[in-house]
Amino acid sequence: MTTETQPQTELTFRPDVDICDCGNEVLIVADVPGANPGAIDVSFDDGVLSVHAPVAARTLSGRALQQEYGIGDYCRSFKLGEGFDASLISAECRRGVLEIHVPRLASVRPRKIAVRTA
Amino acid sequence: MPTFHAGIAPRFEDLRDEFDRVWTSLATAPERQGWPARRAERGSAERLFPAVNASESDEAIVVEAELPGLDAGDVEISIAGDELVLRGSRTRRPEQPAGNGEKPTAVTWQRRERGSGEFERRIELPVPVDATRVEARLVDGVLTVTCPKAPQAQPRKVTVQSA
Repeated sequence: MTTETQPQTELTFRPDVDICDCGNEVLIVADVPGANPGAIDVSFDDGVLSVHAPVAARTLSGRALQQEYGIGDYCRSFKLGEGFDASLISAECRRGVLEIHVPRLASVRPRKIAVRTA
Repeated sequence: MPTFHAGIAPRFEDLRDEFDRVWTSLATAPERQGWPARRAERGSAERLFPAVNASESDEAIVVEAELPGLDAGDVEISIAGDELVLRGSRTRRPEQPAGNGEKPTAVTWQRRERGSGEFERRIELPVPVDATRVEARLVDGVLTVTCPKAPQAQPRKVTVQSA
């Protein structure tokens, strides 16, 4: 269901994600350390959810001793398909972790059918 | 020994990581080569957590670590001998979270790339530091630890006297 598409540019980084199918919604949890929460762009178009989380440039002063990661924006897209309510998508970012809730349309949500006894 | 579980990604992720690594190494400016390649290794079982950058100025050693999801109280920072030690743990979301405040329902995790568990990293400090003046702050999942050098480790300017 969540086929992923390629990042748009080579100067962005692909965040690690957990993706959960919760029945009524799909939950995407992404690690975006250093991203400015107020500048994160989440969009949904034609079944594709796109995330762009800008990261302000920063450098450590002095001589580099150890370099295990680079600084750059996070960018990733997911092809979710049909059956989602774009107007109810919500997202929040705290402590460098972005959570995106993508609710399914009520008409396609799994429904539990109660079985009546005679 | 702490156990940190790296996230599990499908095999095609590894293939794309390899593509990203090659592409990035071709497209990146020379002074940045090596960094994105390391970043592209995310998803590998051998990666270290947290990833660390460090630098040395005349006054201090500054260590920066990516710790998304952690509060200041979740990480223990100490100076042990000539090492800076970062310890803590990152919890994983429950297997069956409640969706939208409703009762927990059967869910399917389609991706589990984010690591979890206990971690410990030891960063070697090249010079003695003043452990009493070490400062740390954690903002938006990025930890910055500033370790002022001990006075004897700081460069001393020598004035040359003229005759």
